Amino acid sequence: MSTPLTHDQLLHAYQVMRTIRAFEERLHVEFATGEIPGFVHLYAGEEASAAGVMAHLGDDDCIASNHRGHGHCIAKGVDVYGMMAEIYGKKTGVCQGKGGSMHIADFEKGMLGANGIVGAGAPLVVGAALAARLKGTDSVAVVFFGDGGSNEGAVFEAMNMASVWNLPCLFIAENNGYAEATASNWSVACDHIADRAAGFGMPGVTVDGFDFFAVHEAAGAAVERARAGEGPSLIEVKLTRYYGHFEGDAQTYRAPDEVKHFRENQDCLMQFRERTTRAGLLTVEQLDQIDKEVDLLIENAVYKAKSDPKPSAADLLTDVYVSYP
Amino acid sequence: MNRRPLTVGIIANPASGRDVRRLIANAGLFSSTDKVSVIQRLLAAFGATGIEQVLMPTDMIGMAAAVLKNSHSRQARSSHWPALEFLDLTLRQTVEDTRRAARLMAEREVALIAVLGGDGTHKAVAAEVGDIPLLTLSTGTNNAFPELREATSAGLAGGLYASGRIPDAIGLRRNKRLLVCDAGRGLREVALVDVAVSPLRFVGARAISRAQDLAEVFVTFAEPQSIGLSALCGLWLPVSRQAPGGAWMRLDPQSPEALLVPLAPGLLQGCGVLAAGPLEPGVAHGLSLSSGTLALDGEREIEFNAHDRPTVTLDAGGPLSIDVNAVLAYAAQQRLLAIGREHPQHPLNLQEDTPGE
Repeated sequence: MSTPLTHDQLLHAYQVMRTIRAFEERLHVEFATGEIPGFVHLYAGEEASAAGVMAHLGDDDCIASNHRGHGHCIAKGVDVYGMMAEIYGKKTGVCQGKGGSMHIADFEKGMLGANGIVGAGAPLVVGAALAARLKGTDSVAVVFFGDGGSNEGAVFEAMNMASVWNLPCLFIAENNGYAEATASNWSVACDHIADRAAGFGMPGVTVDGFDFFAVHEAAGAAVERARAGEGPSLIEVKLTRYYGHFEGDAQTYRAPDEVKHFRENQDCLMQFRERTTRAGLLTVEQLDQIDKEVDLLIENAVYKAKSDPKPSAADLLTDVYVSYP
Repeated sequence: MNRRPLTVGIIANPASGRDVRRLIANAGLFSSTDKVSVIQRLLAAFGATGIEQVLMPTDMIGMAAAVLKNSHSRQARSSHWPALEFLDLTLRQTVEDTRRAARLMAEREVALIAVLGGDGTHKAVAAEVGDIPLLTLSTGTNNAFPELREATSAGLAGGLYASGRIPDAIGLRRNKRLLVCDAGRGLREVALVDVAVSPLRFVGARAISRAQDLAEVFVTFAEPQSIGLSALCGLWLPVSRQAPGGAWMRLDPQSPEALLVPLAPGLLQGCGVLAAGPLEPGVAHGLSLSSGTLALDGEREIEFNAHDRPTVTLDAGGPLSIDVNAVLAYAAQQRLLAIGREHPQHPLNLQEDTPGE
């Protein structure tokens, strides 16, 4: 269960959420210029989920993400400039510019990769959790998938295997209400994704994904279980995305004031600021200072990424295949 | 000609029964499928007791959709479900959905509202509906206010009451409540069972399941056989639902006196007891902590700090609820469920359908 967060942990949580927000808001602007290749799927609005879960993980704990992976990468500690350069397809990117938004990975940070295949991260973390078990470490492995991913067979198979082998896994279902343009209340048969855990013999809970503290507390309990050898858990985090499925999505499937309502009433950053300052744990000045630092970080990352070189033709086959001696 | 149909409401909390206590205790799941079954049992019982129309809110998790789909089933036809009307709400997937559904039902002057949920859901409905009686059904985790009982018999009791066959003096029960007020913040909230003062600073995952997270508890009633905070007082200083007063306890892990309490399903915790006593109606009590959270009916809801001055007051202004046991005992005594030869369920009328006849 949760112990009270320290002053530094609170500041870190805010810095992570604010960095994700600023990163995504900036990409929203930059993508419209046509300079960024491929697709981007923005995580803005969902920050409390990544920050709340990752607060319990270290570099030895692995995560696997999905197509909406920027937030998970930032919260797991992947370098922001390296990510931005990767998204711009530049040689200085964390994957040398060959992956782009949907394939950002950094093994040193325990980030097994964003993933363009819906639900495909789940079997990967079962492998990572099995590795931790066989090595005898207390590491855990965490997969993030969406309400669409929750309907994938690979996710069911992974949950089954994790439970059968009692592996230290967390299945985090970020339910933002839509799989692309398909509403989850139409397409998820048992309605509550958390309810599916019962079918795999693991606990499943639903938490408010707008509230960092709610996610942090539930994830803490699940990580503690996993590290203690008590097996996997499923956490359904209910939240919303502020932008379309991908940039360019006109979102005609959403009510006109839906996003406005969430931004004005439940926004995770707004809530975090109000509650930590009201409780006298952080000051407005401290938070504003983080805002400034983050803005500068993002500004520099974009500036450098834009001017960095692209991979050359000679780089085509490097870092692609494993070379066995 | 223009007689209004005999109408009742059903409000089911789509979110209840899946909080963090599945991770930190052995709480079970109350799935949406189970809730749909409970609603359908109520509809059968309401149909059998002459209720003509049922109002229900829509929801984002498909409960109303499943009920609508099943309303065309053979079972629904043979048990003469009342006509269903779904309230048109803009859903926000928060407790506000429950409150708005309750307000719309009150405007439509329903004869009663069946509530499926935990203490928190009942509290939200009660705050909006004045003296419309509640038929309470537990589909939550740690519940003291709604009773755990079979929905078919609860539905019969509700239907008999709503159709005017049970005197109020027998069928209704007035409940107590706790008012949490802080004039400086414009705060006025209601709890039906308990208010707990916790040193935890944030609402977080809401549930309270550790003795060390409790500093003080106020209860409207406390039954030894319950679970959660009501059980804490119930095992030390029991108070019945009918008694005019309530109880309070102050807790501290350092206290030499301790009590073993089922704080959540499967979770027994030793709670250090500093002091306890009766809670008189109408007296506003300050809190023993200057900052922390207030849990109303088991869920942390209000964060308070040194500059806040919340108080807790017991009063008798809680909602009316149907006393299912008393209604059904009266129904047995008066043979209210005896049916005549003309009733479609009379065994002589069912024989025509028997194969081979």
